[in-house]
Amino acid sequence: MNAVELDRLYKTFLLKKGNGFRRTQQEVVAVDSISLSVEQGQSVAFIGPNGAGKSTTIKMLTGILHPTGGCAQVLGLVPWAERGQLAGKIGVVFGQRSQLWYHLPPDDTFDLLARIYDLDKQMYAKRKAMLVDRFDLGQFIKTPVRKLSLGQRMRAEVAASLLHQPKVIFLDEPTIGLDVVARHELRDLLREWNREDGLTIFLTSHDAGDIESVSKRVIIINHGSVVFDDKVSTLRRRYLGAKVLSLKFHEPPKTFSMPGVTVVKANGYALKLEVDTNLVEIEQVIQHLLRSGPVADITIEDPPLEEVIAHIYGQRKLDSEEQSCQEGKRQDGSREANLATTSRLISNCASLSDSQAKEVRSP
Amino acid sequence: MRSLEKYAWVGLVSARSQLAYASEVLSRIIFLLVILYIFLRVWHVAYAETGCTSLAGLTLSQMLWYLMVAESIMLSGPRVTPVVDEEVRTGALAVQLIRPVSYPLYRLSVALGDRLVRFLLSLTAGIVIVLVLVGPIPLSAGGLLCFALSLPLAFVLDFLGYFLIGLAAFWLEDTTGLMLIYSRITMVLGGMLIPLDLFPESIRPALKALPFANIVYGPARLFVHPDSETLVRLLFTQAAAVAGFSILLWAVFMLALRRVHANGG
Repeated sequence: MNAVELDRLYKTFLLKKGNGFRRTQQEVVAVDSISLSVEQGQSVAFIGPNGAGKSTTIKMLTGILHPTGGCAQVLGLVPWAERGQLAGKIGVVFGQRSQLWYHLPPDDTFDLLARIYDLDKQMYAKRKAMLVDRFDLGQFIKTPVRKLSLGQRMRAEVAASLLHQPKVIFLDEPTIGLDVVARHELRDLLREWNREDGLTIFLTSHDAGDIESVSKRVIIINHGSVVFDDKVSTLRRRYLGAKVLSLKFHEPPKTFSMPGVTVVKANGYALKLEVDTNLVEIEQVIQHLLRSGPVADITIEDPPLEEVIAHIYGQRKLDSEEQSCQEGKRQDGSREANLATTSRLISNCASLSDSQAKEVRSP
Repeated sequence: MRSLEKYAWVGLVSARSQLAYASEVLSRIIFLLVILYIFLRVWHVAYAETGCTSLAGLTLSQMLWYLMVAESIMLSGPRVTPVVDEEVRTGALAVQLIRPVSYPLYRLSVALGDRLVRFLLSLTAGIVIVLVLVGPIPLSAGGLLCFALSLPLAFVLDFLGYFLIGLAAFWLEDTTGLMLIYSRITMVLGGMLIPLDLFPESIRPALKALPFANIVYGPARLFVHPDSETLVRLLFTQAAAVAGFSILLWAVFMLALRRVHANGG
């Protein structure tokens, strides 16, 4: 079963410009007919540059915003029509917005959330004990939130979001502001919950480390459209088709030049190259390099994920559309699966009340 | 029933959280001491100039007790407008909307829990101050009960006013101006500075019918002059005002929800 399904989800806003009589309105497309599905238990990074439409999409998936057109379901519920029901099945963590009471210990917020989500007392006690243990909250569960470090606070935030046993968790920049250790701890916890408890994770982050550590699949959204939807591991290869070669020589190498190879840095005995694998095979480059001088050390790396993402973000919308088409061809299987769910989604959405259905018009 | 328990718990947590603001409580007590001393001097002159022992049916001591209660009601007003304004402007409203709670009821519970603590602390400090300044006045258990019964709806009504102004953030750049106007009107037309009985007779009935009188004047007057008939009339007008404001709030909130944008995360 799919945890999240989007079918041509579309959202526009009216942007007002100017003042007084010169005031004009312009329709801005925030989300442009996005279709995708996320299976239960998957961990997905949903990323994009600022203003790409991520937050708008998440707000539609959590029921805060009504779409202008299209349809979506989260755990079989139409979010904006069945927000009350959905609230008990999803968890949300906004890295920049706390749900913990600042002057009270996390324990008090947990007790409050248990009542807000109508949790059975015994079930709540067990669940809290388990979360305290796994998130290692024992040392500070009774300490006022204002006295906690950011890392401790975020662990408590995520634990609070899992208190009511959600099936899907939406995480928006959960590691923002955290130090390296705290980031690693939180990523490990999220990965563990995804793997062991089958928690579906829908992660939004600008941190490439979060994406690589927590998610197996990455969906990149730009200008309101999906421009990439595949495994994180294929992201680098597919988009830049490049490898980074770092070499150290026993003596200064000869001047190096080869089609498809760019010298990123040449510093005495060291050389850093970027190889376009679409133009030249990596073995050819290495053979050529071995003839340039005695090699002491060689490292082959994928380009940094951040660089790949920045490259994709920098593309114009037209490029994005072309690539989206290419991606579509590559992912025929998953698209077909999406199409198969489309008719079901439409029929579910059509069963909404008339007033709600009026909100959902075709783009 | 479970829903009521949910909101009662929110109020309780809010009250506990409010106890952390010890320094704010101290500053309120100092302010109360200064303002009550000024009131005492001003009204002392007023009573001396008119040669009356009673103005608007109140002796000087009763007047100061009335002003102390009115001031405690005003001082205990929680931060409703700035919080709603900020949540709307920063997008933090999203966190609240995702939970299985009604946002207006959640904010009401927070405000009532918060206010209960602030009011009790202000009132306690105020009683000590007026006891030192003018001594005790006759109080009865029945009278205090009348006063206590008049407070919940007064606080709810005050919350509704400030919450509506906070929601204006969906349409306005800044709600601070509106909030200041509303609080100043409540001070003057609500009878915090001068009991409404001292206003010209021609406008008095109109002032007493306004919601502001139901928030400040009504409860403060009942404290010094308890009367079951006045209490029933006050509760009726408070309930009518709360019903009217609630309908207005619901309509505005529904309109506001349509304006929730995704900006700011």
